[in-house]
Amino acid sequence: MLEAIHLTKKFGELVAVNDLSFKVDENQIFGIAGPNGAGKSTVYNLITGFYPFEGKLLFNGKNIAGKKPHQIAKMGIARTFQVPRTFPSLTVEEALSVGSRFGDDKGFDSEYVDFLLHFLDFEEERSRNTGALDLLGKKKLMMGAALATRPKLLMLDEPMAGSNAHEIQELMDFIRRINEEMGVTIIIIEHFMKVLTELTETLLIIESGAKIASGDPEKVTSNEQVVECYLGDAYASDN
Amino acid sequence: MGGLMAIIYGGLAIMPLFVGGVDYMMHILIMILIWAVVASCWDLIMGFAGIFSFGQVAFFVIGAYASAIVSNKFGIPPFFSIFIAGGIAAILGVLVGLPCLRLKGAYVALVTFAVHMILEPFLKGHMGRAIGTGGSRGILTIPPINIFGYAFTPDNKVAVFYLTLVLAVICSVIILMVIRSFWGTAFLALKDSEDFSASLGVSAFKYKLAVFALTSFLTGMVGGFYAHYVGMLSTRMLGIDLFVTLMIMLVIGGIGQFPGAILGAIVTVTLNEMLSPLGPYRPLILGGLVVVLVLLLPDGVIGLLRRIFGGKRKTREAEA
Repeated sequence: MLEAIHLTKKFGELVAVNDLSFKVDENQIFGIAGPNGAGKSTVYNLITGFYPFEGKLLFNGKNIAGKKPHQIAKMGIARTFQVPRTFPSLTVEEALSVGSRFGDDKGFDSEYVDFLLHFLDFEEERSRNTGALDLLGKKKLMMGAALATRPKLLMLDEPMAGSNAHEIQELMDFIRRINEEMGVTIIIIEHFMKVLTELTETLLIIESGAKIASGDPEKVTSNEQVVECYLGDAYASDN
Repeated sequence: MGGLMAIIYGGLAIMPLFVGGVDYMMHILIMILIWAVVASCWDLIMGFAGIFSFGQVAFFVIGAYASAIVSNKFGIPPFFSIFIAGGIAAILGVLVGLPCLRLKGAYVALVTFAVHMILEPFLKGHMGRAIGTGGSRGILTIPPINIFGYAFTPDNKVAVFYLTLVLAVICSVIILMVIRSFWGTAFLALKDSEDFSASLGVSAFKYKLAVFALTSFLTGMVGGFYAHYVGMLSTRMLGIDLFVTLMIMLVIGGIGQFPGAILGAIVTVTLNEMLSPLGPYRPLILGGLVVVLVLLLPDGVIGLLRRIFGGKRKTREAEA
């Protein structure tokens, strides 16, 4: 469904993404992990058109390089942000409507917005200001607005950050349901290994913008190089 | 929003019954209507779309000069030339808007205010004179608006007032419809978070240029209307007074609190006239008043009305 071929992004001297190639299959949950500053979020920004880049990005066979963020949204790629974004001027319902109105190529669908409000368990918050939501609420709102665009691919950027164990469980169920019930392919950037091993089918580990391992999450997380880049070489050789 | 707007314009509409005979009062009422539209446009672009455009007075003056020149030079009836003036202002608005797409906040204010700053030397200089601005003397003879042989001259202020009222109501209804439609939602979304909006399919390019085009069109058209009403123009309007007065209207009315800008225009113009016996102390008092109002009423008159009548809270003041 999504294929990155020799993806490279340089910010001046800094190589944020270095010759990265990977492939996401339809209907899978694909994980991306790596230390802070590894270039995970930059990969998202390249896929969603926020920065120009070198290399190729194919979405369902079509090259999406050079497309603007709003065009990419219309093509069926939606995303959330690591630092939660909301629309403090809008209510929850209005915020979801933005996604439906502008991001769904079929146009605004109020029934679908109602369905999402129900799906997100947001019926009580419907008329609340999005700025007044708590952290979990804001994350759900971002996901909901992204889903309102009827994406084929949803990219989540550290959805669990700052959540407690209970919330992590709730969010994981949620992500699974989006994948299974709505048939949306998911890419997830996450630091919690437990989340990644439980949720994803394929896991990509990057460091300094380059791939160091990819494949089955169980195997990848026991890979010596991966352990090393996360915990330092002393830990890796001890085990 | 619509209800309050109807009450305000309805109230203004019956004013000639009481002061129709007093030319000075009628002039003030006409100017209230004109500034109400200009301030509302400014509110749309700044309060709703979040673009700190400081070029609204410039577009007003551009519209005024454009309509005067078009009607004087080409003999086009003022009734049509004000629309041409709006079109010229809209084109310039888009041209100014283009570089602003890449800028944020205060930088947009600088670019748009630069247009304001350039305008005076341009209108007074050789290039301005060549297109008929009259240089520093200005334009002294501008024909009045004439509809079916009836000339709306300053001698008949009640007629001019009602014509202005019609224009102001039309402009305000357009602004209200835009705010209420998905355009308004797009403006608010872009103001709140441009990258989140873009990731949901909102084109910043399209909606930001559209708001530049629309607000400059309406402002330019009203500028043209003003030119044909007063019958003469100079660059004096580009002084800081008018700019500040308009800003006070916005602050008093409440930024992003349409139709607060209309109330702001009424209050500000009236206050300004009432304070005129104070001479040089007037701006001092007005300035002090603004400071107090900003501190006490962050959402302007609309915020006050909402507090009194307990209407539903929306927009900026989140419950957070």
